[in-house]
Amino acid sequence: MGRKGRRILVVLSAATLVAVVSASAAFGAHRADPGITSTSISIGGTFPLTGVASLYKTIPAAEAAYFAYTNDHGGVNGRKINFTILDDAYDPSKTVPLTQQLVEQNHVFAVFGSLGTAPNLAIWSYLNTAKVPQVLIATGDSYWGFSAKKYPWTIGWQPDYPGEGKVYGKYIAANMPNAKIGVLYQNDAYGKNYYAGLRVGLGAKKGNVVSAQSYDVTETSLAQQILALKAAGADTFVVFATPSPTITALVTATKVGWSPTTFINNVSANRLFLLAAAANGANVDGVISTAYTVSSTYAPQANTTGVKLATSIIAQYAPALQSSLAAGDGNIIYGLGAAWTFVQALKNAGKNPTRASLMKALKSLNVTDPFTYPGIKVQTSPTDNFPIEQEILEKWGGGAKGDWTPFGKLYSGVR
Amino acid sequence: MKLRVPTGLPAAAIVAVVLALLPFTLSGYHQGLASEVAIYFIAILGLNILTGYTGQISIGHGAFMAIGGYTTVVMSHDHHTNLLLTLPLAFAVAFVCGVLVGIPALRFSGVYLALATFALAVSVPQLTLKFSKFLGGSNGLQASTTVSHTWLYATSWSCAAILFAVAWLLLGGRTGRAFRAVRDSEVAAVSTGISLPIYKVLAFGVSAAFAGVAGSLFVIHTNGFAQPNEFGVILSLQILIGAAVAGLGSLWGVLVGALFVGLLPNLSTSVPVIGSSHGQDVVFGLIVIGVMLLLPNGIAGLLARVARLRART
Repeated sequence: MGRKGRRILVVLSAATLVAVVSASAAFGAHRADPGITSTSISIGGTFPLTGVASLYKTIPAAEAAYFAYTNDHGGVNGRKINFTILDDAYDPSKTVPLTQQLVEQNHVFAVFGSLGTAPNLAIWSYLNTAKVPQVLIATGDSYWGFSAKKYPWTIGWQPDYPGEGKVYGKYIAANMPNAKIGVLYQNDAYGKNYYAGLRVGLGAKKGNVVSAQSYDVTETSLAQQILALKAAGADTFVVFATPSPTITALVTATKVGWSPTTFINNVSANRLFLLAAAANGANVDGVISTAYTVSSTYAPQANTTGVKLATSIIAQYAPALQSSLAAGDGNIIYGLGAAWTFVQALKNAGKNPTRASLMKALKSLNVTDPFTYPGIKVQTSPTDNFPIEQEILEKWGGGAKGDWTPFGKLYSGVR
Repeated sequence: MKLRVPTGLPAAAIVAVVLALLPFTLSGYHQGLASEVAIYFIAILGLNILTGYTGQISIGHGAFMAIGGYTTVVMSHDHHTNLLLTLPLAFAVAFVCGVLVGIPALRFSGVYLALATFALAVSVPQLTLKFSKFLGGSNGLQASTTVSHTWLYATSWSCAAILFAVAWLLLGGRTGRAFRAVRDSEVAAVSTGISLPIYKVLAFGVSAAFAGVAGSLFVIHTNGFAQPNEFGVILSLQILIGAAVAGLGSLWGVLVGALFVGLLPNLSTSVPVIGSSHGQDVVFGLIVIGVMLLLPNGIAGLLARVARLRART
């Protein structure tokens, strides 16, 4: 055997030795229970901390604050919650390996709060096949609610988008029966689902939609669509978009001299976004949306348990978020609300929770989450996989420094 | 006994043996990471054929990955095609698309070609939003079957091995010489009878086909879920950077490039500095600058330099 051959043999033997040793080591370390010990419970989720959707990063920060608060008060049945937040930048090709990391490396008990429709769709079948809870996820699409039979390990939290569209439709049909409606919607399933809900809510009045314009996510200017809606004679403007295009739409409408009664979706109705629109010249007075959480800036709610708890938790466990909370960042209340629901379900899951008992608890909820709008109940059942199905309308007043004021009755059965 | 970096057949043999043994020691999750390295290996190999050997720059290979990926997902979702069968299909579809892109690209060179391919990288994923009924739109499309980590590891590295052999045969023979002639001097190439359009378009086609297979495996790796956000511009840039790090003519170079691009973004967040998402961007950028300044011919160039130094002493 020549010199070259000997070298190859040495390398091969070394590699084989390493392989055999590691194999035996790998088989030795085997976990019995995923994510739960007598003193801790481990959960995790993927969130857009960077990238196009990074405006939502206050949600996981608020959730972490709530879990820290819970841990300081004894945890849940003596167990502290370890919450791992991973950044998938809203990219499903990152969500999948990160979620696999949470399940297969971090051995989490459950995937909690992962944000985004596409990211959650990417891990939907994986988590359900692996029988890992995919719970209280931050997306309003209705897939999760309607697919409980096929994907029993998945459940959302917030009221779904088509249901929200129905609320606007019902309100317009009842209070503005002769409205000429112009709809601007995002040209994808997200926008189309909202629009379909609106038409269902309008019922007999769906013929009042004089024009429906769609836009692509990549378009920066919506002038063409808004001019078309104005030209069609619409006096009511319904916007089903993500926050940035909504702000653009509001500003453009004002710039072209159009002042319809405007409805925007609640995802875009964060006070900070409206302040931004007003700062850019939009006339935001009278804009209508819906809400399902308490508001940190609406004075009559300042003494509710939810607002007081939110203020103290954020002050103590996430002081960096205080100024946003004071300015009305609804995402913070959202995060606290979802985390509260999780802790409640975990308590209901028994002294020694299992993944199955957690899902059972989540599907038999009947509680009042302090962070939701007063009067709303978080309710689920084996046939009802939608935790929150109530919303209230709210109207903006006060111009560039104003705020939302809820009005009217609480709509129920929103889905 | 001086330690020499093996090249040629012994190198390939060592890598093959290590790869065959690895799954027995790696957890499922780590096998997934290793598959990701294989995916970038294939994409970088393809880009090297186009950019390194034929001198046509492309910042658009993410688009060809998208084409391959969506071919797999649509066939699996609509026709329940066996995932393995979709791989050669993706190769063929991406090849055709590469040829279709290569023909108008004949008019461009240098910066303009880079811009044109960049436009491709930006626009192709948007097509899924345009044809959302067929291609799933922003909610993506899910394949009808999913695979285990080990299946993906075996398949992706087998594809990497097969495509590496294909590239080796292609580049070692007349076609490879023609490519290099086109890169080094188009005028000289033409004067020796090499048809520029044919070889340039062929390079585009083959390169795109490689990226197409990489894209198929990429989607299978993402649990069979394809969505436009997965194929952003960053993907094209990552492949280009991987190719730059790899250099030309060395298996180790392509491996290092693939390891760098595939593993760095997946470094656990518990690793200080590098693990955080901003830390990763900084490290990535620093390494790219370092490679451009110190190793303009990539790892392959470094190995060649070392071999030359050794030959002299």
